[in-house]
Amino acid sequence: MKENIWSRMLNLDRRWIFLLIGVVCTVPFFVPFGLPVLPTKNVISIFDYVETLGPENAIFVSFDFDPGTDPENMPMAVAITRHAFARNIPVFFTANAPLAQGMLEAGFTYVTNPNIAGYFHIVSWQEWAPYREQGITRRDRLQAAWEADGNVLPENASGWVFEGRDFAKLGYLPAFALVIMGMTSSIEAQYPEDMNGNPLAQMPMLQEHKNLRDVDLAATFSGSAACMWWVLYAGDTISLPIAFGVTAVSATDYTMYIQSGQLVGQMGGLRGAAEYEVLLQEAGYFEHPDRAFIGMDVQNAAHLLILFFIILGNIAYFAGGFHKKGALLKGRR
Amino acid sequence: MYETLGIWTAAIFTLAVYSFLYKENPLYRLGEHLVVGISLGYFIVVTYTQVLKPRLIDPVVTDSQYILIVPALLGLLYITRFFPRIAWLSRYPMAFVMGTGMGFGFPRSMQSMVLKQLQATILPLYEAGMPAEVVIGNVVLVLGTLAALIYFFFSKPHKGLFFGTGSRIGIWVIMIGFGATFGFTVMGRISLLIGRIQFLLNDWLGVIQ
Amino acid sequence: MKRAVPLMIVLVGGILMIIQYFIPHQISQDVKDNYTIWIPIITAFALVLGVGSLTRLHGHKVRNRAPNWPYSLAVLLPLYLVPIFGLLLPASMAGGRDAPSVFHFAFMHIQVPIQSTMFSLLAFYIASAAFRAFRAKSMLATILLLTAVVVMMGQVPIGELLGSWFPRVGLWIIDFPNNAAKRAIGLGVGFGILATQLKIIFGVERNWLGGAGD
Repeated sequence: MKENIWSRMLNLDRRWIFLLIGVVCTVPFFVPFGLPVLPTKNVISIFDYVETLGPENAIFVSFDFDPGTDPENMPMAVAITRHAFARNIPVFFTANAPLAQGMLEAGFTYVTNPNIAGYFHIVSWQEWAPYREQGITRRDRLQAAWEADGNVLPENASGWVFEGRDFAKLGYLPAFALVIMGMTSSIEAQYPEDMNGNPLAQMPMLQEHKNLRDVDLAATFSGSAACMWWVLYAGDTISLPIAFGVTAVSATDYTMYIQSGQLVGQMGGLRGAAEYEVLLQEAGYFEHPDRAFIGMDVQNAAHLLILFFIILGNIAYFAGGFHKKGALLKGRR
Repeated sequence: MYETLGIWTAAIFTLAVYSFLYKENPLYRLGEHLVVGISLGYFIVVTYTQVLKPRLIDPVVTDSQYILIVPALLGLLYITRFFPRIAWLSRYPMAFVMGTGMGFGFPRSMQSMVLKQLQATILPLYEAGMPAEVVIGNVVLVLGTLAALIYFFFSKPHKGLFFGTGSRIGIWVIMIGFGATFGFTVMGRISLLIGRIQFLLNDWLGVIQ
Repeated sequence: MKRAVPLMIVLVGGILMIIQYFIPHQISQDVKDNYTIWIPIITAFALVLGVGSLTRLHGHKVRNRAPNWPYSLAVLLPLYLVPIFGLLLPASMAGGRDAPSVFHFAFMHIQVPIQSTMFSLLAFYIASAAFRAFRAKSMLATILLLTAVVVMMGQVPIGELLGSWFPRVGLWIIDFPNNAAKRAIGLGVGFGILATQLKIIFGVERNWLGGAGD
């Protein structure tokens, strides 16, 4: 077959395409467009729901993803955790797989990292034990007593989080679908201790929210169908409100559960996380959005490039007459 | 020092994996194999600290909950799989987990994945005050679901008004659905790359904020 | 004993758990609660199978100096060293699970970066596929591609700049025709799951018995 520009184009070594996508995904970090990200209704509904909650409520944040989908799922989980901590909503952290527990640790470390502006300062279970012994377990009284004793919130911190009062890291258990089912009766029966070995029975947040029926939201972040376990075993059985944070690949698969009322809302992909970060900024919780928002500029550029490839590839295919001649030239790498 | 070493190690392995795009090489294969070993090693630690110790060893030893020895013995039967003569014993814990798991999931799957979805499809096509795009959308949703279901019904030939036209509309609806998924898939894949580039430029090289 | 008893366990266990769902009596709930405590313990032991199989496979390669046998060491060494450091050695010897430790280092600075990066390779492949494989060869393929373009542009801020209708139309496509398609597929999957569950309970599906002798 005679070579022409179209066949040369379609037989281009794919490593040039790899290089181009790499460059296009790098340059916007140095030359940001700063285009706005407008939140959509599925994300707004989660945000608005969390806005109605406070220290007397409780939520579950379940890290149900492994390192492979970390770039998409982690920003979402971090965003909702920061929202909950900013509103002093007690958070139970769980994970559906061993590697997911590692993601839980990483996400929690990020939210409580003193090197990141707006972090939350941890007060460990042992540190506030004297206050527990005096019966000071209500959130407002605890913080007042803690600060009255000379504890000053660091300058770049957003607030205190007391272990066992504001958060409990429960972690991973196998057959997690059944763990969810078991937690509809008793959280403590499934998790006698948290990840740090602290007894759950003594935690004020567990004493006030003994099972999933006492919890107000379960937000699950997953790169697989594991998020559906929350709907099957808790959402539809005890009417627990569920919110999804899923990868973009699966986002369109679960919108039907929003339409059916089985989900409060859904964050889909990096865009979903960026929208939540924008909502947090607009509501005044944090000065700036976080990593997901920064990534949206790169998304812009990459999407335009992909579209260009699709259009150019089809032009080359049809202009070169390959739709008539059959297979393209062999020898491409 | 620990963090710096960690970031440099992570960066080296990141670049090692990306080197595969040029050509497969030993550093990439090393990373590939390390991941298998580390993940299973991590699995072992987490399983012991999260499951076996707090939910089996401590309750039996400290709280005398000897009934938990029964599931422990059942679980130990898994090990017989390595001994061909008694490997059939490993079917017992599998049967218990499989059978009860299937029974456990059956009514819940029925409720969430079938009944609730059917219920959500039976919706009013028009209500006073509904925007036009929602009315059209509801029509598309109801008739589109029916048409797509007809397309997947392969026990009858796709001919005539109901099966023929219905399945043709159904495949169009399915293609639109797949198109939407494809659009999001592109976005999702790029996001994964963005995350790694952010790590390289911010955490490793520190050239961006 | 070898096949009949396991099949009977599956049948009785399956039917009992289905019936349990419909009985609100406390005894039924206690059965459910105890079941949710037993199953994680049983399934935790299945880890031994994974470790044993991997050790056997890669140990065999190392022992016989099979081609590329050093890579098998890269599997076996962390498989055993990570638990030793994570469970047995004290923090003074880089043990324990919290940073700084070998356990934490191996997971956060080797496992996570490698696994994330492997998944991110897909971005390159999708770019390559966009140029070389995504063809509007038929009307249906054209519909798929056009829908993808509209949805893609609706998801990024630059799409909103290029055409304010992009996000609106994109969201409408996701909320209505996409939901119709996914619901039909979801119902099919749901029925398939129910059928598979019943087939396993009633012993029609017996593939899970395999690999354990006769």
